[in-house]
Amino acid sequence: MRERPSGLANPWLLLGFEIVCVLVYELLQKRGASETANLSHVWSWTGITALASPLTWLAMVIMIISLLSWLYVLRYIPLSIAFPLSRAVDVLIPLSCWIVLGEHISARRWGGIALVVIGLMLTAKPVARLEEKL
Amino acid sequence: MSWPVFVLIPIALIAFVSGQLFLKRAMESSRFKGFRDAKVITFLGCGIFSMTIHFFVTLGLLGHLDLSYVYPFQGLSVIIISLAAAIVLREKLNLRLTLGALLISAGVVLVSMS
Repeated sequence: MRERPSGLANPWLLLGFEIVCVLVYELLQKRGASETANLSHVWSWTGITALASPLTWLAMVIMIISLLSWLYVLRYIPLSIAFPLSRAVDVLIPLSCWIVLGEHISARRWGGIALVVIGLMLTAKPVARLEEKL
Repeated sequence: MSWPVFVLIPIALIAFVSGQLFLKRAMESSRFKGFRDAKVITFLGCGIFSMTIHFFVTLGLLGHLDLSYVYPFQGLSVIIISLAAAIVLREKLNLRLTLGALLISAGVVLVSMS
């Protein structure tokens, strides 16, 4: 984590941006696939019918942006820290489905969310200490 | 459960983990050598190739299995990547990071199974 860029080029900021991008494209993918699932029974299982939705194309653009952000993050942050932190998206997706789409979250899923949050806190704490020293 | 599932799930995991390791190696080297260096291009190519294999093997698996069955295996990638980064990339992995990765893996498995 030597000579890291600051401001908008800060890799931690870009990691957060990458997580948000993944969250947005996963939701767009789901909406796009659901909208087009009944277009063709033959082709729907391949995922090709989802291309009929503009939401799927928007999801693909955001997916490319998120990949570029991820590559930038990998330039500066150790993989053993960046990858576990990037899995925050596994908490954000069910939470956003609960808040935005009103989907039900089971007790087991809440348990999983709690484990991920504790894991993220454990992973992020040494990073926060390191940032304070710098 | 047919035998290809037991072969394809480890292949998808191995391709994903090795893809991330190749991409990390490429991006770290690119800081000092730029993107025209042969080593950087090779690592980047291997990373993209591995991630492509992972993408198509996962698509194939999803064609036959439920997402709730396939996705928990992706959760295991957190702990595997953390360990692989320590072994292959010589990154420092202390008890706190290992425990954090284990909890995230377990949490992702639980979230995706429910």
